[in-house]
Amino acid sequence: MADAAAKGFWRRLNPLAPLTAALGARTAAWVRRRQGEDQLPVQLQRRRLYILPTRGGVAFGALVFVMLLAGLNYTNSLALFLTFTLAAFALVAMQLCHRNLLGVRVTALQAPAVFAQRPATLLVSLANDAATPRLRLEAGLEGAPRARADLRANTQALLAVALAPQARGVVRIARVRIATAHPFGLFRAWTWVHAPLELLVYPAAAGALPMPHAGAHRAGTRSRGGAEQDEWQGLRPFRDGDSPRQVDWKAYAREAPLLVKEYQAVGSDLRWFDFAQLPGLDTEARLQQLARWLVDAEAGGERYGLTLPGVRIPSDRGPEHRHRCLAQLARFGEAP
Amino acid sequence: MAAPKDAGAPLALRSLAWACAAFGGGVLLHIDRVPAWASLTCGVLILWRLAAVRRGLWLPGPLARSLLALGMAAVVLARFHTLSGLTAGTTLLLLMAALKLLETRRTRDELVLIGAGLFLLLAACLDRQDLGRAPLYALQGWLCCAALAVLATPSLSSRAALALAGRTLLIALPLAIALFVFFPRLPGSFWAIPRGTTALTGLSDSMTPGSIAQLVGDYSVAFRVRFEGPRPQALLYWRGPVLHEFDGRTWRRTEAALRARPRVEFLGEPVRYHVALEPTRRRFWFTLDLPAQSAGTRTSLTYDYTLMAADPVIEPTAYEGLSFLGSRAVDPLSAGSRREDTALPGGANPRTRELAQRLHAQSGTDSGYVTAVLDYLRRGGFVYSLEPQPLGADAVDDLLFRTREGFCGHYASAFVTLMRAAAVPARVVTGYLGGEWNPIGEFMEVRQADAHAWAEVWLQGRGWTRIDPTAVVAPERLTRGMLQLMPDAFSASERLLYGPGWLGGVLQRWEAASAWWADHVVRFDYASQLDLLTRFGVRSPDGRHLGWGFTAALCGWLAFMAWSTGRRSRRARPDALARAYRRLCGKLARVAPPRAPHQGPLAYAEIVLAERPDLRPGVATLFERYAQLRFGPAAAGAAEVADFARAVRRLAVPARARD
Repeated sequence: MADAAAKGFWRRLNPLAPLTAALGARTAAWVRRRQGEDQLPVQLQRRRLYILPTRGGVAFGALVFVMLLAGLNYTNSLALFLTFTLAAFALVAMQLCHRNLLGVRVTALQAPAVFAQRPATLLVSLANDAATPRLRLEAGLEGAPRARADLRANTQALLAVALAPQARGVVRIARVRIATAHPFGLFRAWTWVHAPLELLVYPAAAGALPMPHAGAHRAGTRSRGGAEQDEWQGLRPFRDGDSPRQVDWKAYAREAPLLVKEYQAVGSDLRWFDFAQLPGLDTEARLQQLARWLVDAEAGGERYGLTLPGVRIPSDRGPEHRHRCLAQLARFGEAP
Repeated sequence: MAAPKDAGAPLALRSLAWACAAFGGGVLLHIDRVPAWASLTCGVLILWRLAAVRRGLWLPGPLARSLLALGMAAVVLARFHTLSGLTAGTTLLLLMAALKLLETRRTRDELVLIGAGLFLLLAACLDRQDLGRAPLYALQGWLCCAALAVLATPSLSSRAALALAGRTLLIALPLAIALFVFFPRLPGSFWAIPRGTTALTGLSDSMTPGSIAQLVGDYSVAFRVRFEGPRPQALLYWRGPVLHEFDGRTWRRTEAALRARPRVEFLGEPVRYHVALEPTRRRFWFTLDLPAQSAGTRTSLTYDYTLMAADPVIEPTAYEGLSFLGSRAVDPLSAGSRREDTALPGGANPRTRELAQRLHAQSGTDSGYVTAVLDYLRRGGFVYSLEPQPLGADAVDDLLFRTREGFCGHYASAFVTLMRAAAVPARVVTGYLGGEWNPIGEFMEVRQADAHAWAEVWLQGRGWTRIDPTAVVAPERLTRGMLQLMPDAFSASERLLYGPGWLGGVLQRWEAASAWWADHVVRFDYASQLDLLTRFGVRSPDGRHLGWGFTAALCGWLAFMAWSTGRRSRRARPDALARAYRRLCGKLARVAPPRAPHQGPLAYAEIVLAERPDLRPGVATLFERYAQLRFGPAAAGAAEVADFARAVRRLAVPARARD
């Protein structure tokens, strides 16, 4: 941690930082202009591959230059031959690195929705149609740790890029970088895939307010705690957003994994969650409370609907419906 | 793992071991050059570091490392008195890299180690260039490149990394050779090169009677000679420094640069030859007796016909010689030369003086006197010996009248003393005699063991005349190499290697290859570059042609790489099974909707059969067979695939259903 802090400090101290940032933005815009928007799947063609030496490659170049000077100075043929061999080696390494990325197919980009402050993932599907393996392919965003995978001949791979936890909202991923430094780490070839991608970040499910009573037509038939009236469905593994109240703690105490009790509602309870009915809380807290209720209601097998200012989602249930409701929460306040 | 993990890539034992191997290989290249304690320190530090990753040993902190670094630099300084010479620099680099090993935390630090390995390889190239070491250098380069591959792609197996690095180097080799041939060499240096000052073994510019005998056991090559035209059949005396001053024991050169070279008339046919001289760290070059001209602007022919260079020979040097085997003086002997070459230390060797005067009086003329002295040596019971008894204060008296045994240096010294004692001008010439003809490489190899000393006497009407007193004491020395003459002077392995027989034949081939390597690779310079261009048909080549060649080679190679990349990146050709399946789908597409990419074989079969139920008997089985072959548990055999392809070919798809 101290190391990272020191790094941040030096980065702030760097007088060229604003300049490099501006240059980076200009380059990104230029790349976007010349490549245009991508329709997946995309096969990586020569025109869109970029390649530059890595730091190690620059150091290698410096080493070869020093060797050249020494060889010339001593008029030593063997030293010169070594120098030229290493220089030619670096050139071949550049070609191989370029070739390692050329022709890779990016078949899909996905960013599964995630709750706020939870680690998010970007899924990148790559396919290798060639008869030669492509090793050490990297995928990532700027400034995020990269995911790596080896693609054998005629195979596909799914790379999971870990993203930092995000705040609620919609994270727009403008471009994804596919890169490789294989085989010798002297060069890194990369490309940008501009496929519009949205990462929905649901509000964190939080808040302790009691769930509003079931809808008017079935008022009073069922309360949150009244699970005994419901039909026992079974156990399923714990998922993010599940209410701790539904966890089978007894099983957990017997060293079973964290399981959640599922019930099928008897009849069809209907709950209605309304943004406007949560006075006294700020917007984010309201959204978090709504998320809590949505998650609990879904887990309880109830039917539920959602009303936000300007939006009304009719009652339903199931994972699709849950996602639709949570997505609305995530998009809340977003400019149309 | 006890090694602290940083934010960067944590160290894996495997990549660290590879980096250590690259560095250790570099250390091994220098193991006989650097002090033993330095290489030992490196070995210990490498083991320590690897054990630290494996077992979690303690590693020194920054303060301890700094102290260690300072201590090691101090030790190197104390040992070599400099940090900049090749050996001192190498030792320092070695130790510092080994210390760096102790603080390797991330991939970047491992890269530094591989860089050190490559730099040690460079130092080894600067140090020694013989053919025998070239494979070692190639191995080390390969190892470093493979280590780079492992660092960059840890999922590679060691064998795959070696294969990848080897393949890459092989692809790079043609370009490397082109760059090597065409990259314009610069004459001279950018900065002064620290050179060792201690002379190497070989002839020096002074001679004590025993000094040449010390060379006899040294079978290393002094120089190689390639003749233009046929090889002269006469005895070949290779002229080195001529010694004039004598203090009773040691003969020395005189530095008389201003003295004019007396003109001579050369007799016989000129002999043109090319010499490849190994480093001697001395200024004189060797020529066939007697040289007719100096070998370029950097050398001059002294008044006693020694070829002297402006600088010591510190690296392999090639030059051209023109010599005549016979000569006659035109100018008379100058007074200065006569004084110099008749001088003897006063009072020494009284019995020799007495003998000289007696013999000279008997013979009358100078040439008669020379014959008389040679007769005296022939008949006096003198023995040719490598390890004669030590001589006393009057060395020549001792040799002539007491021990009567000696080596060529003894007899040359005694002969010249006898001449001078009778006021006949004489001098000692040192050099090499003969050499071994290599029929495979068609060159003559002159070794340190061929070192020889003889005399020159000034005779009226003939000028300086070569007299070899060893020839009368041990005539066989002139026709046979030292190995046959004195096998005891050599070690058993040298006798086996250089003696006649199968091994000797292998060795001759090896020597020929070494000579080729030394001539065409090690000494490849600007002149060789231009020479090569001439052979390619360039009329008057200069640096610009080299530049064009360089650019053309680079562009041509890049174009080739781009072309081969394009070829490689095309889709792999589908296998036989896929081709047959494509054919099947193509046939059915004429009567049913074409297969969509997402449709599997069984799903597509449903669609086809819904359209044409009449095709069910043939088509359904084919699709099932395909699914079985492609996705079934057992790999599809070639015979089954061929069978399937045949069935597809035979399948008849009528355009309309039969009713």
